Amino acid sequence: MQKVVSISLNGNSYQLEEPGFNLLRTYLERAESRLKDSPDRAEVMADLEQAVGEKCRAMLGQHKTVVSVAEVERIIEEMGPVESADERTAHAASAAADGGTAQDAPAGAAPRKRLYQIREGAMWSGVCNGIAAYINVDVTWVRIAFVLLTIFSSGLWFLVYLVLMFVVPVANTAEDRAAAFGMPFNTEELISRAKKNFEEFGQTYRWRREWRRQQRHFNRQFRHMNEQIRATAAQAMPPMNHAARAILNGFLPLAAIIGAIVFVAWILALFSLITQHTIFGWALPYGMPQWAGIAALVLIYLAVVGPLKAIRHGGQGAAGYHPGWGALHGLIWLASTALLFWAAYHFFPGVRELVDNLVWAANLTATTISETIA
Amino acid sequence: MNISEKLAPIRKGLLEFVILKIVAGDKVYVADMLKLLGPTEFATQEGTLYPLLSKLRREELVDYEWQESEAGPPRKYYKLTQKGRTQLSTLNDYWKDLNRTLADFGN
Repeated sequence: MQKVVSISLNGNSYQLEEPGFNLLRTYLERAESRLKDSPDRAEVMADLEQAVGEKCRAMLGQHKTVVSVAEVERIIEEMGPVESADERTAHAASAAADGGTAQDAPAGAAPRKRLYQIREGAMWSGVCNGIAAYINVDVTWVRIAFVLLTIFSSGLWFLVYLVLMFVVPVANTAEDRAAAFGMPFNTEELISRAKKNFEEFGQTYRWRREWRRQQRHFNRQFRHMNEQIRATAAQAMPPMNHAARAILNGFLPLAAIIGAIVFVAWILALFSLITQHTIFGWALPYGMPQWAGIAALVLIYLAVVGPLKAIRHGGQGAAGYHPGWGALHGLIWLASTALLFWAAYHFFPGVRELVDNLVWAANLTATTISETIA
Repeated sequence: MNISEKLAPIRKGLLEFVILKIVAGDKVYVADMLKLLGPTEFATQEGTLYPLLSKLRREELVDYEWQESEAGPPRKYYKLTQKGRTQLSTLNDYWKDLNRTLADFGN
């Protein structure tokens, strides 16, 4: 027994077995994404729907009212992959490889991997999916890593996900998916890609709704988790005597300043690595891919910041802890960070160039946002 | 890579020319075009043909009209426009030149 889905194709209704319906939906979605830059998209989609409808009708008779999975497969096979006519002439040769993979890649040279977002089977945007494909591990591990990193960085890592979501291209075609990393990471392309992705993102209402829903869900979960971790920590913490706490609190300003230095250095190193492929002029060891460098930087940062955090939270569990200490730490940290950024901006030309670039990118994003809203 | 694969880009590029030639005859429906192309080197599928026809229409080389069919909804029948006819004759001339050039080499 098969569940049947009723669909409407260009104004006529047809009944399809559910797996067949899924196949057809994937085919049409894929067609739509391949035509997304074509001015004829709506028309071609209507044509395709009508053609599919006609083929469905040919499969049906007076005593046969449902199109089976095998028949849908045959119809899709007959229709063939959809390719935009405008890119056809330009990439006529590469289009021939559609459906198949990179069989026509030159023998000997291993196909270069590229990082993409892969929407098929994605939980959210496909970032983890793409990374999993790139480093060739199960996507579950990548997701676990992302969740853990988000928890350990008190949510900071989530920003990394957001940045990746706008910067990493989406794999739309079979060729895209067959490839996987090595994208040119120069600032201009990075920004134009982010801008384009952001525009598309803003246009899709479904995405906005989904975004809000996920955000609420995430916030809820995160709060809950935080509470639990706090409660566990408070229980596990041995009661500290007054003297020990005082010593610890004496270290607070120092911890804040060190934390700020580490944070500023880390951010600058990260940007330097992304834009110039070196960390302050020091190139990565030969053969080490950029993502590994970024991951290493993140790990180093977490490792350094961990003990500092312990100092900051040290007095918290015990009785008599004054919340003012936490506020003081935060203030010192903020002030030091601002001071350091200012100093770096004024005394290192490389940093100034970087910051100017970023300001320019931020302006661009702001313009894009206001244009999208308007 | 065999000969047929080697010339695949050429066939792809010529498809537009072939379509204009087909449409130049009588008003045609896409299914009929596919049937005509099927046994030839230019065998094509809907996934390629519809986007191509839409592009040709955008360039005002072909146009279509709706015609009722005995089974199912009305169908689009494509025909050549005046502009398309001019382009087709240009393409025909170019093709002849190309053939002559090819024949002249190696003689």
